[in-house]
Amino acid sequence: MVKMTLQGGLIYLTLVLFVATAAAARGGWRNIARGFWAAGFVAAVASVTWRGLHTGHPPMQNLFEFFLCMAAALWPLSQWSRWRNGIDTDVQDAVLGALILFPAGFVFGEEVRRLPPALQSPLFIPHVGSYVAGYVMLARAAVMALPLMRTATDAALVRQADAAARQTAAVGFVLLTLGLLLGSVWGKICWGHYWQWDPKEMWSLATWMMYAGYFHFRLKNGVRQPKTLAALLWLGLLFVVLTLTWINLSRLFAGMHNYA
Amino acid sequence: MRLFFNRLTNLGVASWVCWLLALGSVALAFPGPERSGAFMARPVMQGVTAVLAAALLFCGLRALGRRRPDSALLHAGCACVLAGWLWGQHAVRTATPERPVNGSMAMVDGEVSDTLWSGPYLTNYVGRVSFTLKLERFIVEYYDQNGADRDAGRMPPVREYRSRVTVTEPDKAPYVANVRVNQPLRVQGYHIYQMSWGQTSDRMGRPMVYTVLQFIRDPGLPLVYAGFALLFLGTLLFTVRVFRVKPPELKGVAP
Repeated sequence: MVKMTLQGGLIYLTLVLFVATAAAARGGWRNIARGFWAAGFVAAVASVTWRGLHTGHPPMQNLFEFFLCMAAALWPLSQWSRWRNGIDTDVQDAVLGALILFPAGFVFGEEVRRLPPALQSPLFIPHVGSYVAGYVMLARAAVMALPLMRTATDAALVRQADAAARQTAAVGFVLLTLGLLLGSVWGKICWGHYWQWDPKEMWSLATWMMYAGYFHFRLKNGVRQPKTLAALLWLGLLFVVLTLTWINLSRLFAGMHNYA
Repeated sequence: MRLFFNRLTNLGVASWVCWLLALGSVALAFPGPERSGAFMARPVMQGVTAVLAAALLFCGLRALGRRRPDSALLHAGCACVLAGWLWGQHAVRTATPERPVNGSMAMVDGEVSDTLWSGPYLTNYVGRVSFTLKLERFIVEYYDQNGADRDAGRMPPVREYRSRVTVTEPDKAPYVANVRVNQPLRVQGYHIYQMSWGQTSDRMGRPMVYTVLQFIRDPGLPLVYAGFALLFLGTLLFTVRVFRVKPPELKGVAP
């Protein structure tokens, strides 16, 4: 559904700026692309801030708000990658941002729902925030692993792409762990038990296990099988996407996480 | 035995164990919380968990021998969490009516009780706790009605459920406390939760509101939380180690 509101306007502005970033970079105008990219970040932050002011609670209650937060988290993480790994991921991140914002702009509704008692907790922001940043990092790790898919890449490039992907995935893994543990502690405080066998818990644990498998595999085999490494990171991302979409939206997985 | 654990904790096997656990976790997402929980409470699954915990502890010790503190903490943390869960499950199996681990009481304003019940209608007797609770007042507070509520002609959503109770422990002066959602009360090893509420009527047919408080005691909890701390510290150290590997300098190459 198209949103004819200030919120919608901010989302569409961000979307346009993200797409413009990718287009300008494709056209060879690097500095203009960086300008668009930074402006897109400002628009994404404005969109999250407005949502928070408008609803009167931290904008992390449902998928709509979760996706807005993910889009705002992209730019700083992208800057960090350039500083840390010497890899320019502006274009990939801008495309990722557009993919993330598309459902927020055109699929999810923007109804305001006040916080039920179960969500009124100091752990609300840390638990959801860890997952926002963690999922973004894991998506970026998969994108960074793309060069590993190519046949006949030179060894130095493979090493660089592998290092960047692994480091990004490691940060994502820390955030995933933090989100899972904080969620568990919150579950104990709110629902009475730290593990409820809730479908979303099980899928989140499965995602965590997939990345644990990747790290063991990488430790065992090094970069001898670059394609498998890339495939594992994409498989992990598939779990993230399923956890975010299918598990949240399907009635098959009704459980304790039914706030969204 | 040693050979078995050596095989199980070999790095190549370990990735497969992780993926297998991921698959198992996905499989347990389908039957729903109650059936998955009941499945994992079976003796066989407790045994599998115990083997897994032992293997993880073995991994941790071996990592310590290789001077890999991050890996040691991570695996030991996982082992602690599983051991804590097993301990809690053991407490559930060996609970007595004198010292129950899990039960609820439904109360109306002014009622005094020390008896726990279970089942969908709280009709199965579980046992008694060593202190009494008197419900002073159960309060449901709503958000202010806004325009959207008025347009839809509905009540605004609930902002807070709160049970004001007087706790009387043996050999102690009674005191008043609040039980809210996200704010359980802690008395003599029990967490007391604001779990549910409902409406009923008294003998004269007048409507009455009751609250349901759930009592949970889990002796394995400290071990689980200690495991969480180790696990998180291990993950952090692991990431620090991953970052010590300097990537080759290849500025300006797009991935």
